[in-house]
Amino acid sequence: MKKVLVMLLAGGQGERLYPLTKDRAKPAVPFGGIYRIIDFTLSNCVNSGLRKICVLTQYKSYSLDRHLRIGWNIFNNELGEFIENIPPQKRISDMWYQGTADAVYQNIYVLERERPEKVLILAGDHIYKMDYRELIEFHDEKKADITVPCIEVPIKDASRFGVIGIDNNQMIVAFDEKPANPKPTPSNPEMVLVSMGIYLFNTEVLVKSVIVDAKKDTVHDFGRSIIPSLINKDRVFAFMFNDKNNKTIKYWRDIGTLDAYWEANMDLVQIDPIFNLYDRGWPIRTYHEQLPPAKTVFSESFPGGRCGRVLNSLVSNGCIISGAHVERSVLSPDVRIDNYSEICDSILMEGVNIGKNVKIRKAIIDKSVSIPDGKSIGYNLEEDAKQLAVTEKGIVIAHKEMHLL
Amino acid sequence: MKTILLVEDDKNQLLLYKQELLLEGYNIITAQDGQEAINKVKEHTPDLIVMDINMPKMSGIESMGRILSEHKKIPIIINTAYGSYKDDFMSWSADAYIIKSSDITELKDKIKELIGKI
Repeated sequence: MKKVLVMLLAGGQGERLYPLTKDRAKPAVPFGGIYRIIDFTLSNCVNSGLRKICVLTQYKSYSLDRHLRIGWNIFNNELGEFIENIPPQKRISDMWYQGTADAVYQNIYVLERERPEKVLILAGDHIYKMDYRELIEFHDEKKADITVPCIEVPIKDASRFGVIGIDNNQMIVAFDEKPANPKPTPSNPEMVLVSMGIYLFNTEVLVKSVIVDAKKDTVHDFGRSIIPSLINKDRVFAFMFNDKNNKTIKYWRDIGTLDAYWEANMDLVQIDPIFNLYDRGWPIRTYHEQLPPAKTVFSESFPGGRCGRVLNSLVSNGCIISGAHVERSVLSPDVRIDNYSEICDSILMEGVNIGKNVKIRKAIIDKSVSIPDGKSIGYNLEEDAKQLAVTEKGIVIAHKEMHLL
Repeated sequence: MKTILLVEDDKNQLLLYKQELLLEGYNIITAQDGQEAINKVKEHTPDLIVMDINMPKMSGIESMGRILSEHKKIPIIINTAYGSYKDDFMSWSADAYIIKSSDITELKDKIKELIGKI
């Protein structure tokens, strides 16, 4: 494990998650009440014993830098462990990172200093549980140059992914990025094998391939440029994702859209969520501010009395639900909800303040937004759309620190 | 006529390479450090660069990285007295790595292979 360096790519713009990415990079978007999206991948690293991590950042990295500095300062330099934040440094190019492969190319210097045996390229915007040790063992067993973790998805979803064809020995023989007519897996005509967008490379192969790619007119992307150019040339293998979440359905999400983001959060409030946050054997860690426990107040039983009630929801520390009704919602720390308000199927982020007699359903209220008394959101989408973002599936979003009247 | 940019800080060696390559029928421009090489590429856009590594002001490896970021198709031959720079990952960006010797046949052959004679 000590000979493996993680390069965690966290520089994407995350435009499809706008306005949640208005003031932060996608990996720093809050998720599940107390987490940021990047916490899941970083927890995987720590749980897998990988403790040499470079996070390559780019757009709107302030919030992400801060989270890593405050929340992930758990590595011991004396033991050769580290987490480094690396923005583009214009060391060999005057440009920003032009793609995932270019991000690595521009940081060849880091590889040279560190001289790892292998480099694990990860994405900062996926939610899953994976033991990378199994991947590394497989890679060694196969004497691979590159190993690409894969998962089966229904054929109808295949056009969003890099579809992989393998031989009997799990060697990759075909790679089609976002194909129009994907080929199903031999064992199941309903499913295709797709790349999870993460890669384990022998360092020398990685360096050579990003250098060759840098000289070509490509999009400088691992999925679209590098992997297709290496199959049938180097030893490129497919590793079947072995989910540490231990449910019947394998859980791996690239939170690509606002609707997917809302749905993934809503999954967490189910009685038996697909994604398990409670497994002590695979803890997900994050940064926690010291706050008092969540609290509900008022249980007046006379007609018209106030009652603070929370059903099927995640409620973080510091929240006060005061005479309000909360159902199927995810509340980040320090949320206040005042008398006679009703919140359903919604995500309220840190520091949100809800006034009296407010009704909200199917909404995402970003950090530090105050909702004035009597406001209703999610009940008249046409009206909402005049002020707020509304998705295809009718989720309403109030962006960070927005002033609502 | 193909133009070669020769980057070399040792004046005598520079003269030697220049003479030899002129005889081969190339047009030759020269630079004596990495920074000057970058400026020369901006002015002339050569067809090939022969790059020394150990030079004052800016090393050949840094200079090569900067040149490639703007002109990624220009073939570059590293021409150095030391084999040890092969361990430097960025040196792998070069199209060839030649260790200097009194006989420059290898260099000439490599140039021919990369850009042809004229």
